[in-house]
Amino acid sequence: MSSQQNGRRPYLPPFRRDWWLQLRFYRLYMLREATVLPLLFFVGWLIYGLYSLGQGPMQWQHWLEFMAKPWVFVLNLLTLAASLFHAKTFFELFPRVMPLAPPGLMIAGQWLGTVVVAIGLIVLLGGYV
Amino acid sequence: MLQLDMDIIVVGGGGAGLRAAIAAAEASPTLNVALVSKVYPMRSHTVAAEGGAAAVTLSEDSLQSHFFDTVAGSDWLAEQDVVEFFVQHAYQELVQLERWGCPWSRKNDGSVQVRRFGGMKTERTWFAADKTGFHILHTLFQTSLKYPSIERFDEYFVLDLLVVDQRVAGVLAIRYSTGELVQIRAKSVILATGGAGRVFHYNTNSGIVTGDGMALALRHGVALRDMEFVQYHPTGLPGSGILITEACRGEGGILLNKDGYRYLQDYGLGPETPLGEPRNKCMELGPRDRLSQAFWQQQKLGLTGDYQGHAVVYLDLRHLGDKHLKERLPLICELARDFVNVDPAKAPIPVRPAVHYTMGGVMTDIDCQTSIQGLFAIGECASVGLHGANRLGSNSLSELLVFGKVAGERAAALAQQNDHVSHQAIAQQTAVQQALLSGMPGHNTNDSLVAIRTAMTKAMEEGCGIYRDANSMQHCLDQLHSLRQRYQVLNVEDQGKVYNSALLQHLELGFGLDVAMAICSSALARKESRGAHQRLDEGLTARNDAEFLQHSLAVQQQDGSIDIRWQAVTITSLPPGQRLYGDCGAVNEGKAS
Amino acid sequence: MTQTIVIARYNPEQDEKPHHEAYQVQSDDNTSVLDALQQVQQQDPGLSFRWSCRMAICGSCGVMVNGVPKLGCQTFLRDYPAGLVITPLSNFAVEKDLIVNMEPFLEHLSAIKPWLINTAEGTQPHVQTPKQLAKYQQFANCINCGLCYSACPQFGLNPEFRGPAALALAHRYNLDSRDQGKAQRMPELNAKNGVWTCTFVGFCSEVCPKKVDPAAAINQGKVESAKDMIVSVLKPSGAR
Ligand SMILES: Cc1cc2nc3c(=O)[nH]c(=O)nc-3n(C[C@H](O)[C@H](O)[C@H](O)COP(=O)(O)OP(=O)(O)OC[C@H]3O[C@@H](n4cnc5c(N)ncnc54)[C@H](O)[C@@H]3O)c2cc1C
Ligand code: SF4
Ligand code: FES
Repeated sequence: MSSQQNGRRPYLPPFRRDWWLQLRFYRLYMLREATVLPLLFFVGWLIYGLYSLGQGPMQWQHWLEFMAKPWVFVLNLLTLAASLFHAKTFFELFPRVMPLAPPGLMIAGQWLGTVVVAIGLIVLLGGYV
Repeated sequence: MLQLDMDIIVVGGGGAGLRAAIAAAEASPTLNVALVSKVYPMRSHTVAAEGGAAAVTLSEDSLQSHFFDTVAGSDWLAEQDVVEFFVQHAYQELVQLERWGCPWSRKNDGSVQVRRFGGMKTERTWFAADKTGFHILHTLFQTSLKYPSIERFDEYFVLDLLVVDQRVAGVLAIRYSTGELVQIRAKSVILATGGAGRVFHYNTNSGIVTGDGMALALRHGVALRDMEFVQYHPTGLPGSGILITEACRGEGGILLNKDGYRYLQDYGLGPETPLGEPRNKCMELGPRDRLSQAFWQQQKLGLTGDYQGHAVVYLDLRHLGDKHLKERLPLICELARDFVNVDPAKAPIPVRPAVHYTMGGVMTDIDCQTSIQGLFAIGECASVGLHGANRLGSNSLSELLVFGKVAGERAAALAQQNDHVSHQAIAQQTAVQQALLSGMPGHNTNDSLVAIRTAMTKAMEEGCGIYRDANSMQHCLDQLHSLRQRYQVLNVEDQGKVYNSALLQHLELGFGLDVAMAICSSALARKESRGAHQRLDEGLTARNDAEFLQHSLAVQQQDGSIDIRWQAVTITSLPPGQRLYGDCGAVNEGKAS
Repeated sequence: MTQTIVIARYNPEQDEKPHHEAYQVQSDDNTSVLDALQQVQQQDPGLSFRWSCRMAICGSCGVMVNGVPKLGCQTFLRDYPAGLVITPLSNFAVEKDLIVNMEPFLEHLSAIKPWLINTAEGTQPHVQTPKQLAKYQQFANCINCGLCYSACPQFGLNPEFRGPAALALAHRYNLDSRDQGKAQRMPELNAKNGVWTCTFVGFCSEVCPKKVDPAAAINQGKVESAKDMIVSVLKPSGAR
């Protein structure tokens, strides 16, 4: 190539596969992306639960017992934490993608919505009505 | 060596160069235009302009009034036919930029907003927040991308013009990325290389503003006109020289000495205007030279403050309020915070004068044509005759556009008619430069580029500063002569080819020394005080129209010294009057118009 | 005060690859990285780096400081008591010392047609209210410094990605009430190396010295791109 003759020899270091370990910002980003994993577990169990319901009371009871196991409970707590973290980052990013109102207002609005829906679901599914 | 042929070469990718390139491309799409610049165009110094660009806009304003302000501001050394042409075309050029997408600040009804600016009688300065130059430059650069006939040569450093029998034949350049010499032939060449502020020590200019184009022309016998007129901006940050725009004062900022007193009222700019009611041409909105001179007087009286060893006065913006500041002067808030650690909403900003603008430059006629056929000059490197002894803030950005367009069109017309000069005719000149270049790198004696450059900028600051006298100027000139000798035996301290910045700095210093000689020699020869050129020698402290209502022309001699000649000023409709500001100014103007 | 700084040096005519070297510089409260580099250049004239305005507006002086992209003129030694390592901008090829090849950046910028597209002729300014201006103004503040490209792992992985600044600029023109060129720009945004390459890492916006928020621009661009694709699917082919 001509770069040989004129002395130019651009050096491009190979892109590091561990780039995401280099800065705190990247690690947080990876954490945000990683929150899908616990969610996957959760969805899996949910589907398993639905399946169990269809298989009759025995199976359903079995599922309930499974869900009460300490390690499953801890995993579920983790999932909750992960989805809250994901929600936080998502709610903060959303106003930048759809700037419909002042960001602070939009973030507060989204949290409010989450709480309302959560309470609604608990009331509805918890059989309080 | 690389050899290329183009139709038109534009040297410089600042506001002037880009406007010219676009004009040429629009005039004749079949001509190929080389846009040669030592930095990527959007890095050019135009990017740093903050305040705005002037054009008569409001219905209560008039061309006559813009004309008057410019001519009076120039201390009657402007070419009046040029000023007439300029004020007539400025508005259309700013509109053109709007139609290319420039985000001018707006009024609520969606029309363009104009603001006050120093030395202008009414509001006629268009602005884009406080990043006017930035937005102008990026709008032009981005617009230029749509013309396929414009070919960019980014980071090519022009080191010589090719001239045959008083006709321009092209340029010689160094390709920064490889160190190769490049010979580009062309039928017309436009110089748009910007000013020369960096030959001074304290200045508001970018590092690349080293007077290259002026020296290129000077070395080929073209006269540099009115070089003694160097504008100090009254409000640079101490140390760095970073500019705090005049718009701060347009918005109502006030200048205080160390006792908190608005000292400008003592220097013919009063009476004091009430806080928050700035008045054009009065007090803080007086012309720049007067404001810088007032600083010098205050310093002599011991009334200036101190910021890390630099004498300063204080620009107070606090009364404008945090919200207004953030909205109208966001860049200033940022700069003050970063570079002097001050929040303008809470404390006054320390400021001091710094060299800002070179009024003089490559002499051209009203069509931007120099004395070499096919060679044009525009923008800050040129003297088309608009600014005379003092430039009004916001006239120069408009100048880039108005005369950039003129030059682009003229250069295109000329390129249509002309042919390239033969390779043979320029071979000799090319060989000489090639030999010079290859002789430059080498190990050096005790001298260094930095030592010579610092000595030059300090000498200029002392000899050709805000106030001048024969002794200090002569001393400066003597120093420049000896620095030039030291420069001639100086080697380049880096032997490399790829991105050899030492080589470019070396060449820039050579240009700078030539331009400094022209400035100092012109200043010595002008034995009067006018505009930015203020002398302290007895009998020379006033304007002397009988002898010096003339342009100085600096012409380089064989030995590098400068010969000064004189040229009459074109006066069309406004005979010389007194240049007064404050309340007296209003009276004077009533008589003149 | 004397401080030590480490600079990555690379001379393509001599070195196989870049290496680090330490230098002593004088610093006070106002000493910027650029000032420090200039001091080093006085000791060693062979050091190459870009700079011009020294006021954070020309976009020349981008470097990595301790692994984070920064403008040298706007970064101060006072903020790095533990010392600094100055390296060339990541994800670009190094030409010499701190100078990188910016050509890819300019190619991406040019590719999105960054000019106002409007065929109407006129001799007066368009009407544009402050509100309409505010819609795109932030995205028009880009100084082309390239820091966001050094912050973007997607650009690091795929240099064909148009990247933050270019996509933000496309968005700037698409949002401009005076512009009619959106249809011409959308194919570039929808394309393989357009907005969908972005995974909203968001570091570009974090390092942007002018608060352009290119990440927001790109993700707003995704919304536009999605709309555009839906419309083009629904529209009978050939119709306009
Ligand atoms: C801080 C500041 C603020 C200002 N604010 C205002 C304002 O508010 N209003 C106003 O009207 N004016 C203002 N001015 C003045 C105005 O900005 C300048 O006069 C104007 O921008 C100069 O533009 P130009 O195109 O002539 O040159 P520049 O923008 O300086 O461009 C010069 C070009 O020439 C190229 N070049 C130079 N030498 C060579 C070479 N040897 N080889 C190849 N290329 C070369 C450079 O790369 C560059 O592209 C301001 C100036 C300063 C310093
Ligand atoms: S978007 Fe910001 S970081 Fe990216 S080039 Fe523009 S100014 Fe620089
Ligand atoms: S030198 Fe211009 S941005 Fe830093």
